[in-house]
Amino acid sequence: MSVPQLSFIRKLANRTKTKHNRVALKSIRFILGTVFYYLIMLSLSFVFLYPLIYMFSTSMMRLQDVSDATVVWIPKKMDFSNYVEGYKAIQFWKGFTNSMINSFGSAIIQVVSCSFIGYGFARYRFPGYVVLTALLVFTFLVPPQTIVVPLFMLFSDLGWINTHYPFIVPAAFGHGLRGALFVLIFIQFYRRLPHVFEEAARIDGAGPFRTYWQIMFPLAKPAMLVVFLFSAVWHWNDTFEPNLYLLVPEYFNLSQLMAIFNGNASANVMQMSQQISSADAIGLAPTLINQIMAAVLLSILPIVILYLFTQKYFTESVERSGIAGE
Amino acid sequence: MKLRLSSRWRHFMEGYLFVSPWVIGFLLFMAIPLGQSLYYSLNELKLSREGLIATYIGWRHYSDAFTTDIAFLPLLKQTITSMLVQVPLIMIFSLISALLLHRPSRGRMIFRGIFFMPVIIASGVILKKLLDQGVAKLPLFTESLYDQLNLFIPDSILVPVFLFSDKLTPVMWDSGVQILIFLAGLLTISASLYEAARCDGATRWECFWKITFPMIMPMIFVNTLFSIVNSFTKADNQVMGYIQTVVNSQNKYDYAAALGWIYFIIIFIVLTFVFLIFRKSMTAVEGRA
Repeated sequence: MSVPQLSFIRKLANRTKTKHNRVALKSIRFILGTVFYYLIMLSLSFVFLYPLIYMFSTSMMRLQDVSDATVVWIPKKMDFSNYVEGYKAIQFWKGFTNSMINSFGSAIIQVVSCSFIGYGFARYRFPGYVVLTALLVFTFLVPPQTIVVPLFMLFSDLGWINTHYPFIVPAAFGHGLRGALFVLIFIQFYRRLPHVFEEAARIDGAGPFRTYWQIMFPLAKPAMLVVFLFSAVWHWNDTFEPNLYLLVPEYFNLSQLMAIFNGNASANVMQMSQQISSADAIGLAPTLINQIMAAVLLSILPIVILYLFTQKYFTESVERSGIAGE
Repeated sequence: MKLRLSSRWRHFMEGYLFVSPWVIGFLLFMAIPLGQSLYYSLNELKLSREGLIATYIGWRHYSDAFTTDIAFLPLLKQTITSMLVQVPLIMIFSLISALLLHRPSRGRMIFRGIFFMPVIIASGVILKKLLDQGVAKLPLFTESLYDQLNLFIPDSILVPVFLFSDKLTPVMWDSGVQILIFLAGLLTISASLYEAARCDGATRWECFWKITFPMIMPMIFVNTLFSIVNSFTKADNQVMGYIQTVVNSQNKYDYAAALGWIYFIIIFIVLTFVFLIFRKSMTAVEGRA
């Protein structure tokens, strides 16, 4: 055997060896990477879901379990009575109806009005356009507390206290709770749509409003879903404005009733802890945390259900609606 | 008689018609109230039989806020420092989460659903209050773990780590919208950019800094704005709470208006700084999918 041939074979062997090694190394790295990825994702998911898990497990506990150090997650006996108590304490149906009217009503109105306005900003250039856009951003930045006193006086002069008008009327004008943000979302969305549809409609003789209402508005479904969900959720959880404008218990929404129950419950606990003798105190810590947690879960249940049903479309819509605002 | 307009003017008029509801709303629910609150803040208001009587006192409410009010300044300082700590943390965390969610993998949709969950459930005031009562403390960082780790790691390192991880949970729950915006931004970057970079031998690390980072600069800007505004107007913000108690329990509308204006001006200054920082880096628009 001549020397060059030998070196060739050796080279070949070397090459296959390193290639084999490289492939093995790659697949090991891939597996490790995937495991690491899922570890991180699962632990992050746990942190995100933790409040729900905590609330659910606490809401199922009896008082003995709450103060029992051996009970960490799973109560010794499943107990639904907290839900009954919480349901009564927050007057669920009344609060639920009020919350539905307030948050879903405002959300639908905001979707319609903000889309209309956003279309105007996205498709038309007119004198004063830059100033109006700057004012739009400005509106988003003003904290509501700065203008709340004059607004309250305005609404009380109009006799709108204890009605739903203070929520619905500003929403109809594209304002209300974070209205400017919703207008901006619609602007971003309409800017990305091609002009072809509108031009075709205009050539066929449709006016600007008909073009908008029949062609462009139905195309904006992804943006509508995002705005509707955000608006409904933020209205649902808001207590600041309802506390100002809805002063009679008949009109309280779930978040307000929940806040009142939370306050009452802690006051009751204060009283109980004063009456309790030291012998009892060792066994039972006076707390209503289980009932409070049950009531909280009940009060957010409707929007959690809404989210679970729309979640798939919601995440898709966010990708398509141009919320990112290039 | 029908008005005859040139097509240019017709275009203008149509635009104004679409925008007009917002302009009317702006005047009614923003401009006039803003002017009124500025007027209140410069006057002393007294309730009488004929209604509110205002006497002009100039800037006294403003100087009072800084000199005689003992509660306002510490709260303001606290709010600003917590904002300065939280916003960068939120940005880093939400960017990392968005990158993780962007990676093609099984169960990505489920993870997305879970990551946006706090936007839905943790935005309410009551829930925030309840979370502050100890729900936000993760069970992992309890005393038993602390004692275990304390055997190997000295106190001086361990205590800050635990405090930090305690703060991290609210940060994570606050970053839902930001993750969303980053994710939507990442999806607009064209894949061909990465392919070209790969052909030229760029590593993933280089790809991130040379492509991803400049391309999502606008989203970083939007997110920074959103996070700052959000942290200033959040329901559990202490300055906001203080202004509300001045209105509700002390009935000092004039002083509350002045406080609101000071707060608003400070927010505005902070945002101007952010705007100036980002102004130069906002030019990357090419290569979107």
